[in-house]
Amino acid sequence: MNTTATKSNLYYHDRVVTVLVAWSIVWSVLGMAVGLYVAAELVWPQLDFGYPWLSYGRLRPLHTNVVVFGFAVSALMATAFYSVQRTSHVPLFAPALAWFCCIAWQLAIVAGGLSLLAGINASKEYAELEWPFDIAITIVWVCFAIVFFGTIAKRKIQPIYVSNWFYGGLIIVIAMLHIVNSLAMPVTLTKSYSLFAGAPDAIVQWWYGHNAVGFLLTGGFLGMMYYFLPKQAGRPIWSYRLSIVAFWAFTYSYIWAGPHHLHFNAIPDWVQSLGMVMSLILLAPSWATMINGIMTVSGAHAKLKTDPALKFIVLSLAFYGLATFEGPMMAIKSVNIVSHFTDWTIGHVHSGALGWNAMITFGTFYFLVPKLAGRDLYSVKLANIHFWLALAGTMLYILAMWGAGVSQGLLWLSLDEIGELNFSFKDIMGSMAPYYGLRVVAGVLFLSGTLLLAFNLFKTLQGQKVVRVVPPPVAAMEAA
Amino acid sequence: MKQQTTLAPWFPLRLLISPTKVFNELAGTRPDPFVMFFKYLVWFALIPPFLAYIGAATFGWRLGAAEPLFLPAGDLLLVNMLYFAALLFGLVSTAVISQWMASTYGARQSIGIHFALVTIIAGPLVVGSLVHLYPHVFINILAFIPALIWSMFLLFRGIPVVLRITPERGMLMASALIGYLLVAAVSLLGITVALWSRGIGPSIGV
Repeated sequence: MNTTATKSNLYYHDRVVTVLVAWSIVWSVLGMAVGLYVAAELVWPQLDFGYPWLSYGRLRPLHTNVVVFGFAVSALMATAFYSVQRTSHVPLFAPALAWFCCIAWQLAIVAGGLSLLAGINASKEYAELEWPFDIAITIVWVCFAIVFFGTIAKRKIQPIYVSNWFYGGLIIVIAMLHIVNSLAMPVTLTKSYSLFAGAPDAIVQWWYGHNAVGFLLTGGFLGMMYYFLPKQAGRPIWSYRLSIVAFWAFTYSYIWAGPHHLHFNAIPDWVQSLGMVMSLILLAPSWATMINGIMTVSGAHAKLKTDPALKFIVLSLAFYGLATFEGPMMAIKSVNIVSHFTDWTIGHVHSGALGWNAMITFGTFYFLVPKLAGRDLYSVKLANIHFWLALAGTMLYILAMWGAGVSQGLLWLSLDEIGELNFSFKDIMGSMAPYYGLRVVAGVLFLSGTLLLAFNLFKTLQGQKVVRVVPPPVAAMEAA
Repeated sequence: MKQQTTLAPWFPLRLLISPTKVFNELAGTRPDPFVMFFKYLVWFALIPPFLAYIGAATFGWRLGAAEPLFLPAGDLLLVNMLYFAALLFGLVSTAVISQWMASTYGARQSIGIHFALVTIIAGPLVVGSLVHLYPHVFINILAFIPALIWSMFLLFRGIPVVLRITPERGMLMASALIGYLLVAAVSLLGITVALWSRGIGPSIGV
């Protein structure tokens, strides 16, 4: 299928995909390095050296923004652009707009990151960037939607493949969440006040926060899985029908689950219970997808011999299973009363973020970059070392946070005989240093693996021109 | 291939020194599920709670910031009986799940061999549970890290040999089983704190 076609409307637009992948890797290294630094600050607080911009309060949102919006969204844009062309059998609609998305998004991350370091912060978790950035993000996102849905609109085959349903869900729901949660009254260029106040503000924030996890870190990455897993395994999805049922069940139930972040807070009790019940229901579509993935890959064992990428995807499904079970379990009120406000939550987030999101992205990149470069991966051995470093880092991180979280939960619910708290917050946090030390070790392991990936993929791409691929000839689509 | 019905009783311990040899022995064996259950699994489920009981009664739970936490003997007994029940359920269910997965990966399906497999995986963790004698949470976590690494190594290496499948299929089945084990581990954590919030175990202000 590789030709030397020259007209831009003849071949798939993969250069923009390559640049997005490269940026995603840059952000993964930087974002994880910042994460490691803040983890170290929790053990050695003097690491801020007295500079406000190096303080935990500024670096922590930088870490989350760079890994979620830099690493994850760049990877999602790259894989969405790559797969929507191949599942629609047409090159991207409005390729110039795709380039605009790619460049403007990276500029927004750079400028947004600097604004966070400068202490400009809207005080909403995972939506810390101030209003000018919110507007910029909206513009880029609308362009992303135009390119993606435009490509689907001009597709040459009738069915819309399931990965596109997930990517489409990601684009629509994130737009909705971002716009509603960011509604604010600007006061100056760097300061605005949310249109919502008090408890409604908290409910809107966690409707946004939880569904950003849902539709970006889960739904978006499921889109990635549904395209790249069958491609790598060389066989179709185990049950296509199950994937569609799971998509609609997932979309319907996820949107209700946000209030579990506000258990035992000043929001109506029935809202909390509804959030809990919907979180439990969410387990069904989540695991339907996991089983679909595991069964798809179960027949592709021969590929494992030569393909280091498949290992990452196989293991990412195990961690996806863990995270999507742990989440609903932690939403149960009688568990949440102990786990809430403890490091158990941080451990849960990272079993998803490291074990699922990062691993499936690494697996996808190890598959995708050699294809884009038109040659084999530079070193299979380095990829295998990366696999074990990533697995060890993730496991150690989760273990450390389980230990820290359960101890914290028990300690700050501990009462003396007259009903007073036995321990102060400060004393409890002071005793957490060993766990945080263990987390630093976990971070070093995981980041070292990511550096190996960056080196390996850089060497694979070095000096190569992106392979040009022409869409396969298909019969013109008949009107339904 | 030679078929035996019994194994040397110390085989889980020999796994610590020469795992490959034991795997090969098991590959040529058809263990009796009742023997595997009563000779190994029940004891494997019993040893950690027993050690945890002695440790907690002697030194108290040590959580870092606090004075050691001593539970009344009755509560401690109840907590450890529940620990035993959870471990027994975990071990047996892992064997059943493993047998269920076996058909997907073309592996051996006799339940006895899956009991043996669970015995292999659990071995290092049971040895690691010696640290329960001093129930300091962080020290327990530190001790369980090498035990877990060894256990996962045995899982990845053991499955293809013991269940007579290719290493690639073994890798897939081991990963699927790790998924189940991770869920089982976090369930144990969830059930524990849910019991605490219902008044079983340490007294907390809920």
